[in-house]
Amino acid sequence: EILKEDESGSLKATIDDILFKAKRKRLYEHHGQVRLGMMRHLYVVVDGSRTMEDQDLKPNRLTCTLKLLEYFVEEYFDQNPISQIGLIVTKSKRAEKMTELSGNSKKHVTALKKAVDMNCSGEPSLYNSLNLAMQTLKHMPGHTSREILVVFSSLTTCDPANIYDLIKCLKAVKIRVSVIGLSAEVRVCTVLARETGGTYHVILDESHFKELLMHHVSPPPASSSSECSLIRMGFPQHTIASLSDQDAKPSFSMVQLENNSEPSLTLGGYFCPQCRAKYCELPVECKICGLTLVSAPHLARSYHHLFPLDAFQEVPLEEYKGERYCQGCQGEMKDQNVYICKVCQNAFCVECDLFVHDSLHCCPGCIHEHPAPISV
Amino acid sequence: EDELSLLVIVIDTNPIWWGKRALGEAEFTLSKCIDAVMVLGNSHLFMNRTNKLAVIASHTQESRFLYPGKRWASADPFGDGGSSMESNCSGSKDGKYELLTAINDAIAEEIKDLMTKTEMKGQQTETLLAGSLAKALCCILLITESSKPLSNQEMKSRILVIKAAEDSTLQYMNFMNVIFAAQKQSILVDACVLDSDSGLLQQACDITGGIYLKVPHMPSLLQYLLWVFLPDQEQRSQLVLPPPVHVDYRAACFCHRNLIEIGYVCSVCLSIFCNFSPICSTCETAFKISLPPVMKAKKKKLKLA
Repeated sequence: EILKEDESGSLKATIDDILFKAKRKRLYEHHGQVRLGMMRHLYVVVDGSRTMEDQDLKPNRLTCTLKLLEYFVEEYFDQNPISQIGLIVTKSKRAEKMTELSGNSKKHVTALKKAVDMNCSGEPSLYNSLNLAMQTLKHMPGHTSREILVVFSSLTTCDPANIYDLIKCLKAVKIRVSVIGLSAEVRVCTVLARETGGTYHVILDESHFKELLMHHVSPPPASSSSECSLIRMGFPQHTIASLSDQDAKPSFSMVQLENNSEPSLTLGGYFCPQCRAKYCELPVECKICGLTLVSAPHLARSYHHLFPLDAFQEVPLEEYKGERYCQGCQGEMKDQNVYICKVCQNAFCVECDLFVHDSLHCCPGCIHEHPAPISV
Repeated sequence: EDELSLLVIVIDTNPIWWGKRALGEAEFTLSKCIDAVMVLGNSHLFMNRTNKLAVIASHTQESRFLYPGKRWASADPFGDGGSSMESNCSGSKDGKYELLTAINDAIAEEIKDLMTKTEMKGQQTETLLAGSLAKALCCILLITESSKPLSNQEMKSRILVIKAAEDSTLQYMNFMNVIFAAQKQSILVDACVLDSDSGLLQQACDITGGIYLKVPHMPSLLQYLLWVFLPDQEQRSQLVLPPPVHVDYRAACFCHRNLIEIGYVCSVCLSIFCNFSPICSTCETAFKISLPPVMKAKKKKLKLA
């Protein structure tokens, strides 16, 4: 962006313009009528090699990456509540799993926080980390989307075998690999992303890094070969018992028993409808009978991906002839543009427009029209 | 240290429900309800000098801001409402604080205008609650942004919904979107239900961490409002308040609208069915049915005699 002075020598107008455009940049186009992969299994491979100690990202690349990944994990489970994430770290020519594939965000965030003290050494191995991820992902059911996201900072990789053969295997098993490069473009990553159908970007700075990570939060378009199936799920009731109830029996939660972390007896919880095993949180896969347990709001969280909101029409304030009040917040319109919903023709200010598209996912004007009942 | 607290009250003014009530027994009418809400609003503003208030009426045709309305936009709407407001209203007749008189008068004017002059178009009988909540969220965002440069304190906001009529199941998706947005912004949604239990509001209170209360005796509405809904988030932990209700999170199947414990979910459109069927009725995808592996018939070796 070039800073230009206006006639009186002031920069204010250009700065306002730049700030305004920065606010708007966050909205990106959705894909339209494309089938999305809603149930995702994603492995995040973090480079742990010597180059991660570089200080071009503050305080160093590793700390910056781990902090952004914590934020990414939270956003990911917010937008895809029935999906799973696993973490792999690669250094000293080997790859090891930091956490297994699971839908529990706390486990991943704890592991990421602990990894800040990790010692970065050696060279990464792209082959080993992709192989390790593939071993688990190839057994995942066909209707889920299998993805790997690699955060790659080194310019070299040390592989025990021909990586192009591995790329062919990944393509055959329908795994989509995307790479975010921290240093410069590496040819093998370009080929990897292109062949498997993923994306490859190299970051410019920290905010660009965050933006690229956030692109991976939304569900990707499903590949044509992914199967569609009817998945059997359970919707357990939440029982809140208190000591005064006669039937209240304290019991262990299955997850705590597995973690060996001081299992405690609790009275309430979610009971699997098939085998009556108890769990404290949802969504979870029942360890006894294998049924996926979710609650209706978890599925409802993903509905806005299926019915995305169209972008509003941008009209300069001088040309807009209606009342100068935003229909959402009732505030006066002070920005240079107003945003008009094409369906209900209501006008909104820029803050409401951003809020509606980022968080609300439904136009406050349109939901005042009474919807027609869904015909079954 | 002054903490900023914003309370947005959303009142269900469904004219059909209130009209039926007025025909029945006239003990609790809409004007009594609005009186109770005004007292709650005044009390909230009294709790702290920097507290802010907004009131929205949720109707079957529209959602209207009772306070602050459009006539306030010319002056500073969320300031002290001092000198410019005095020219609009007639002044306090009973020695009440000017701002409260102005607010009460504005609410009374707007609600009279809404209930008498709104044209009833079409066949709608259901309150536009999801729309009012969406506007409430936008309003909270505006107030939060405008008060950020003035003080370093974080603004804590909550929405109180006073519900009269029944739930509208057609608004389920919009309602859930609004509730998830509120949860993300850490805005509490409290619910005070006058007549029949509302499953949607129970879920909303559970997800955002608010309080759900079904009022046992409607004429005593003000007591419940002041006791349960006036304290803000921090004070609530030190009080004994109504316990959380058991929320039914079972999903309803798309084919019969029955509540089911185990169901089948389409992986493409996430619709829920109670029985297995080869084609999804919502998105018309044909499902892959995994059959057991077909055994090849073993060729019997003929023994040559």
